[in-house]
Amino acid sequence: MNPLPLNLLPPGADYAAVMPLLWAFAAAVLVLIAEMFWPYRSRRGVGWLTIAALLAIAVLGRAPSEAVYFGPIALDGFSGWCNGLLCLVAALSVLMSLDTLEVNGVTRGEYYPLLLFAVAGGMVMAAATDLVVMFLGLETMSMAVYVLAGMGKARRRSNEASLKYFLLGAFASAFMLYGIALLYSQAGSTDLAAMAGLAGEGGTSAVTRLGAALLLVGFGFKIAAVPFHLWAPDVYEGAPSPVTAFMATVVKAAAFAALLRSVLLAMPWVAGELQTPLWVAAAATMTVGNLAALRQRSLKRMLAFSSVAHTGYLAMAVVAGTSEAAAALLFYLAAYAAMNLGAFAVMMLLADRGRPAENISDLAGLGRARPLAALAMTVCMLSLTGIPPLGGFVAKVSLFGAVLDAGFYTLVVVAVLNSVLSAAYYLGVIRAMYFDDADSVAAGGASAASRVLPSRPALTVSILLAALAVVLIGLSPSPLLGSSLRALASVAGF
Amino acid sequence: MVSAESWLRWIPLLPLLGAVLHVAVGYRVGRRATGVLACSVVGVSFLLALRAFSALVSAPEGAVLADDVYRWIAVAGFNIDVRLVLDSLSVVMCLVITGVGFLIHVYSTGYMAHDDDYARFFAYLNLFTSAMLVLVMADNLVLMFVGWEGVGLCSYLLIGFWYTDTAKASAGKKAFVVNRVGDAAFVLGTFLLFWALAPGASELGASDLGASSLRFADINAAAPGLSPGLVTAAALLLFVGATGKSAQIPLFVWLPDAMAGPTPVSALIHAATMVTAGVYMVARLNGLFEAAPAAMTVIAWVGAITALMAATVGVVQNDIKKVLAYSTVSQLGYMFMALGVGAFGAAVFHVMTHAFFKGLLFLGAGSVIHALHEEQDIREMGGLRAKTPVTWATFAVATLAIAGVPGLAGFFSKDAILAATFAGGHYGLWLIGLAGAALTAFYMTRLLRLVFFDSFRGDRERGEQAHESPRSMTIPLIVLAVLSVAGGYLGVPHALGGHDALGSFLAPSVSSAAHAGHALQLSMAVEWLLMLVSTTVVLGSMGFAWKLYAAGPDADVVVRGALGRAWQWMASAWRVDEAYERLLVRPIGRGAGFLWKSVDLGLIDRFADGVAMTAGVLAETWRRWNSGSVQHYALSLLAGALALVAAVLLGGGG
Amino acid sequence: MSELVFYLLAAITVLCALGVITRPNPVHSALFLVMTLFMLAVFYIILEAHLVAALQIIVYAGAVMVLFLFVITLLNLKGDPDEPAHPLLRIVAYAVAATLAAGVAIVLMGDAGVVPGGAGAGAVLAEGFGGTRALARILFTDYLVAFELTSVLLLVAVVGAVVLAQREPVAEAPLTETGEDA
Repeated sequence: MNPLPLNLLPPGADYAAVMPLLWAFAAAVLVLIAEMFWPYRSRRGVGWLTIAALLAIAVLGRAPSEAVYFGPIALDGFSGWCNGLLCLVAALSVLMSLDTLEVNGVTRGEYYPLLLFAVAGGMVMAAATDLVVMFLGLETMSMAVYVLAGMGKARRRSNEASLKYFLLGAFASAFMLYGIALLYSQAGSTDLAAMAGLAGEGGTSAVTRLGAALLLVGFGFKIAAVPFHLWAPDVYEGAPSPVTAFMATVVKAAAFAALLRSVLLAMPWVAGELQTPLWVAAAATMTVGNLAALRQRSLKRMLAFSSVAHTGYLAMAVVAGTSEAAAALLFYLAAYAAMNLGAFAVMMLLADRGRPAENISDLAGLGRARPLAALAMTVCMLSLTGIPPLGGFVAKVSLFGAVLDAGFYTLVVVAVLNSVLSAAYYLGVIRAMYFDDADSVAAGGASAASRVLPSRPALTVSILLAALAVVLIGLSPSPLLGSSLRALASVAGF
Repeated sequence: MVSAESWLRWIPLLPLLGAVLHVAVGYRVGRRATGVLACSVVGVSFLLALRAFSALVSAPEGAVLADDVYRWIAVAGFNIDVRLVLDSLSVVMCLVITGVGFLIHVYSTGYMAHDDDYARFFAYLNLFTSAMLVLVMADNLVLMFVGWEGVGLCSYLLIGFWYTDTAKASAGKKAFVVNRVGDAAFVLGTFLLFWALAPGASELGASDLGASSLRFADINAAAPGLSPGLVTAAALLLFVGATGKSAQIPLFVWLPDAMAGPTPVSALIHAATMVTAGVYMVARLNGLFEAAPAAMTVIAWVGAITALMAATVGVVQNDIKKVLAYSTVSQLGYMFMALGVGAFGAAVFHVMTHAFFKGLLFLGAGSVIHALHEEQDIREMGGLRAKTPVTWATFAVATLAIAGVPGLAGFFSKDAILAATFAGGHYGLWLIGLAGAALTAFYMTRLLRLVFFDSFRGDRERGEQAHESPRSMTIPLIVLAVLSVAGGYLGVPHALGGHDALGSFLAPSVSSAAHAGHALQLSMAVEWLLMLVSTTVVLGSMGFAWKLYAAGPDADVVVRGALGRAWQWMASAWRVDEAYERLLVRPIGRGAGFLWKSVDLGLIDRFADGVAMTAGVLAETWRRWNSGSVQHYALSLLAGALALVAAVLLGGGG
Repeated sequence: MSELVFYLLAAITVLCALGVITRPNPVHSALFLVMTLFMLAVFYIILEAHLVAALQIIVYAGAVMVLFLFVITLLNLKGDPDEPAHPLLRIVAYAVAATLAAGVAIVLMGDAGVVPGGAGAGAVLAEGFGGTRALARILFTDYLVAFELTSVLLLVAVVGAVVLAQREPVAEAPLTETGEDA
């Protein structure tokens, strides 16, 4: 009986690969403890600590020139890129929540550590080269977000959102696990490297395809693709707004990052074998999202459906399956995060008698009351519509172009028509801000000035940062586009 | 012969700078400073455009000024530069945009003098000018699209400018959404060309040009080598985009509604510049369109039919701006007809003269509306000749110019179009054009007589208070009137002893290499004959209208009686709006409503809020869960999974 | 012989699992779940994974299920919910689930290597397989990352449970008093 070896490491382990994750988890625990002993009534300081931690991890999480591995964790260009995106976007979402947590009913300081745990889980998803580890990252992130969604504890909607998201999320996770188990039965391993070999001479076996399909059901739920999207509007609407902003950007980005690495890159046969269902799902997702968004009166719910629609655009990259499309997807995620955060931040500027005001009609008159914020919102809405020269336009051009290059003409036509349709409801927001003032005042509604929160510097700064990012990404996309291409090129075996 | 001129970027940048300054400090510096700033940035742009023009005139034929600003988007196989170019075609457009734009800015300082949001108005106007300049100076389709969307956006903002009025806001929205439909076609056409010109797309007849940059020069050069089907498809898609921006059948419906905006906006955007963007785009891509004869035929016929149809609608309108709006649609139709028969130079000539006289007409209409305190119904006008002499005189000049009376600008440009149509053997189109000219002469004479002659018919008090507009408004009118006369002499045809100076200046830009020297020449005698015919028709029609409307607006009854059922159709603009409402708007609305009701009810709204989470609530929620939406959602998830699995099992196999 | 035992046990397991989702009384459902988990432990024993089998009984069938029963009793969830699901919904749900199960079963049956007696049968197990030492070795080498991640996941779950379960001190949450739309 030999004693266990003292070196308890997986073969070929390099600590450098897990350092970003360790920093992230350490930061989460640190903030958790700091929050407990925080001496002041206001927990803004904890928020600033969280932002500092996220920025530090964004720097520490950069990839070395040569990819390093620690068992099933890779630190290559791809995970380095995703670390940066997730941390920066999360930092911005924390910045905008500093002023708005209380009005949204979030009174507990665990908000910050849970958010950090969610980011750390997302980083695991982007870095995992093993399906089980990816799944654990996904569950870590999801568990934190289930709780975050319910942090407006005094609000029924928030509780319900949390419970609904949890129950359905668990259901979807079961599908995903089943899929992983079936893939394991075929490959004899959950390692992504083994997945590429599943396509033999005569294509893949039925069990392999079944496994991949069930895995995609799980991903489809997380990214809110039709028909697995039904939770999204309810949960987005019910969750406190800062959490919704986080979900719509960070969680979506992490889910797409994992989808990219685990399916698109590791199982290149999926794009071929599941082409038709994926095609239909992408087209249906954008169409259903856009049509449903047309009729919304709640800005939050409209943004939820808009998020579904953008999932549809992003899913086209999975259909195309080329490296250009994947790079465009990464770029799109960054641009989408900026413009979506901007929209949520402006929405959080509004409050009516101490409660968040979340209807499109509440924006009436913002153009006069807060010209700069209204301008930022206009920029974000135009970018979401895809008007040049903003970030959303460049993102759409590069993504649609890549999908076209892969030969999916009809899908691109559907997407272009959809983005025309989307103009109608994004424009409604601009119209409300600039044109609806007099109408609402005449009808006895409160004027916009009374709905805007008193001076909130952190929120204002985050609005401007988001709008600035949208404009900069649009005017000078080359650095970001180039980095996303390099990020993909670094993934081993692709 | 491309010379690098890094100062070109300032032509669009200056107005942009002006717009930014208006937003940043406009509320603090007062009206006078705002007005001066707004006019001067456009004025300086005009001077820069003049400098470019003189450089191009003295340079050898076919010279191009270019300014490489930076590489914008660089993805694999896709390099888009921000590169501005001025050749003879775009410099003419630039001069019109900045020149007429400058005059309209000056006019607006008077017209908007009493508006609360002076700075915001000029911010939009400057921004529009900047976007329009980007549109014409762009050297590739994607950069042009930046200007294309920019002008659409400014148009939307300016139509809804007086935002107290919901109708105006929805007119703006309609303009934007209709334009987005055209834009979708534009984007699809761009993607098609991108794909066709991309490396490795050699099958299907696509060419291989290295990284696709979508430059106009490359597209024009490559078009003849591509497969005809592909070129035709791309040309038609781009043309649909043009019909959106330039208000042609089937997407013209937004322009008449766009008249809700302030009148200088109608003059600048909806008459002189933005609406000609489609014409400019087709002229810019002449190589592509010439390689697609089928598309050219479609363009010519759409243009001709639009010209005739809009003219018929113009006859029965009573709102002064609506008459001018349909007249604009009709004149744009002429331009497309010219494009369709390959007379790109004639089309651009008409763009220019039309900018002069239609800008003048709108500004004159604005002056009348201003004088009568927002009265727009021509039945309530009359006899304004004495009260507003400058407006009357300039308006009359513009009327004669647009009608095509010999010696004025409209005569030369319209004649150039009709002659080119005839020379190309398109006699049907020529006849339609002639009929349109007769109608134009008719409704313009009706307008002139009802507004300025006979006695005032409206509210007495209003009539007495009517007054001439301030100098800031009348001076632009006078300048434009001079241009409406003189502008035509840039293109005097050879038959009249001229040199067609504009035509030969434009020639290198608008005739692709394959068609160089291919001129549509008629013999002197035929050309004279054509002019004689059209002049006779125009003068006859004017005389008829003049006589008829001596009776005032009551003469409409005669017209109505003569037209019978057709009158109904004309009065409702051939019911195109109604058709859209029935066939598109309502079904989409119903679809969205169906989704809203059936799929997206949500459980949330049925709950009472404000109770903290307790064990009791948990139990309650648990019960709800058993019968509520979560179950439906879960079932949908299950069904989706089933569908996916079924697709995998039944569809997959190899 | 062993195959016969396997199918017998498998049938019992599936019946118990069906009991979990068909019993109207939540206590009965929970007890069926205990049974199902026990049966799974039996399978682990058949596969010579003795430690996993023991853990299965101690952790799941024991601790977790006791907690479940506690919660059910505390919440007083007895009998049918007030508003039973729409019968049509119920039928559709059964139909969809049954079709999905059938589809999956067809695929698995049709593919050798998954069903017992297939390609994997008769493989020789390493010495000490299923014992504590072998499991520990693999857990702390190949599956170290997954193992540590699981601990993070549990930490998040604990924090979350505390956040959601703890009552709010009213003074700290003035907004709760204003409430929301009715």
